[in-house]
Amino acid sequence: MHETHRVIGRYAPEFEALVRDEWMVALARGGDARLLWYLNHAMGSGPAYEVVTITAVTDGAAWEALGRRMVDGDLALLATRLDSCRHEVEGKLLLPVYWSALQEVDLAAVPADARTHDLSVYMQDTGWPDAPLDEYIELWDHDYWQIMRQTPPEKKLLDIQACFQVAHGSGIRPEAILMQKVMSFDTLGRLLTTAEEHDPTTWPGTYMAKGLEVRDQWESKLLRTSAWSPLW
Amino acid sequence: MLFIHEFHKVVGKRAAAFEASYRERWMPVLAEGTEARLAWYFDLAHGSGLAYRVVTVTAVQDGAAYARLAERVARGDLRSWARDLDGLRHETTARVLVPLPWSPDFPDLADIPTGGVSREPTLYMEDTMWPFPGRLRRYVEAAGAVYRPSLQGEDARMHMHVALGLETLPGAGRSPEVTLLQRLSSLPRLITLLTQDIPPEVTGPGSWMHEALELRDRWRSRLLRTAAWSPLP
Repeated sequence: MHETHRVIGRYAPEFEALVRDEWMVALARGGDARLLWYLNHAMGSGPAYEVVTITAVTDGAAWEALGRRMVDGDLALLATRLDSCRHEVEGKLLLPVYWSALQEVDLAAVPADARTHDLSVYMQDTGWPDAPLDEYIELWDHDYWQIMRQTPPEKKLLDIQACFQVAHGSGIRPEAILMQKVMSFDTLGRLLTTAEEHDPTTWPGTYMAKGLEVRDQWESKLLRTSAWSPLW
Repeated sequence: MLFIHEFHKVVGKRAAAFEASYRERWMPVLAEGTEARLAWYFDLAHGSGLAYRVVTVTAVQDGAAYARLAERVARGDLRSWARDLDGLRHETTARVLVPLPWSPDFPDLADIPTGGVSREPTLYMEDTMWPFPGRLRRYVEAAGAVYRPSLQGEDARMHMHVALGLETLPGAGRSPEVTLLQRLSSLPRLITLLTQDIPPEVTGPGSWMHEALELRDRWRSRLLRTAAWSPLP
């Protein structure tokens, strides 16, 4: 369950505390849902006071049960308090694509005690192909994931930790999402500051060129985990 | 019951094929099982907004049935249908909705037609509201206690009734957000609404229009026309 929260700036600390101290803890009392990531959109790289959370649920019945608890059950008051701290929230349900490294999550192993750690940064890429969605997911597999996984660790900019497509009926189609952990801030810095120069002798065979055959619209978000985010 | 509400930006040249895909593939495939049905197929009425926009509403029994359907679309027997549909539309924005506590009863899935229907189009006004932060529950209560009954009075400005009142099930759409599917029964009243100013007594203190501004001031109305074959009128 992927949610983008447009938080009311002056209530940002309260919002984070509610998620950390009440939402995460409430989920941990059961066995079928866990907060995985709490991510702040890195200031200076996009919208201010925007938070992304990703919550794992075991199946459709568990999601419905959780949603109904928030609508009119024991979590309704907490949902109203969260609502009071944000302008709105946009949610979508995601399924791992066939090649995603993340397929199942051992929910019992996900920490829910707000233990702190270093911060990490993710590049979340969301793409909207103009070709059939399946072709885009296959391109990512053959021409991006397969190449990235062969890159030596010391040369890696990104580690692709998960790839998702939107579950039918719960968001935009066609849309797919990459969750990529930034492994080298030096390389990220070069990416941000160096103009792209395409070698005409190699450009036609590159991922960037092939990618244009299926899409030219995507958005990268730089998301920084909070110090207590269960996964980081 | 859960409702998958989809708003499709259809490729104009492929509009007929898009409609056929829902009529001849999606609706019959769902009819082979017992846990989901296409309920409505609407065109956004030409002249009232964007062209080649379609709204579909699919009813599913519960979250488990929804997840099974989503799996079939992602990697099961409905994957090829979805892939073909990708060529007929620019984009679809969808959400999963649950009925408001006061929403009228919805038919049993088994009672929803799955073909062979042909009737005059019906016009709906689909209103979607975005309450202020933290005011969702108060808005839902007020809409049920004040707005819905107001549509049933003899002196109601609009002759329509709420067929379904819905809100987003957390995690599958935007929140706070409320959608009312309202079936129109008088075209002249709609024309009056479109062509005349709203009188002060309808917008003044004490009125729904006035008091509800404490709970929300943004909403969007869409005029939707059922297809002749839409399972529900």
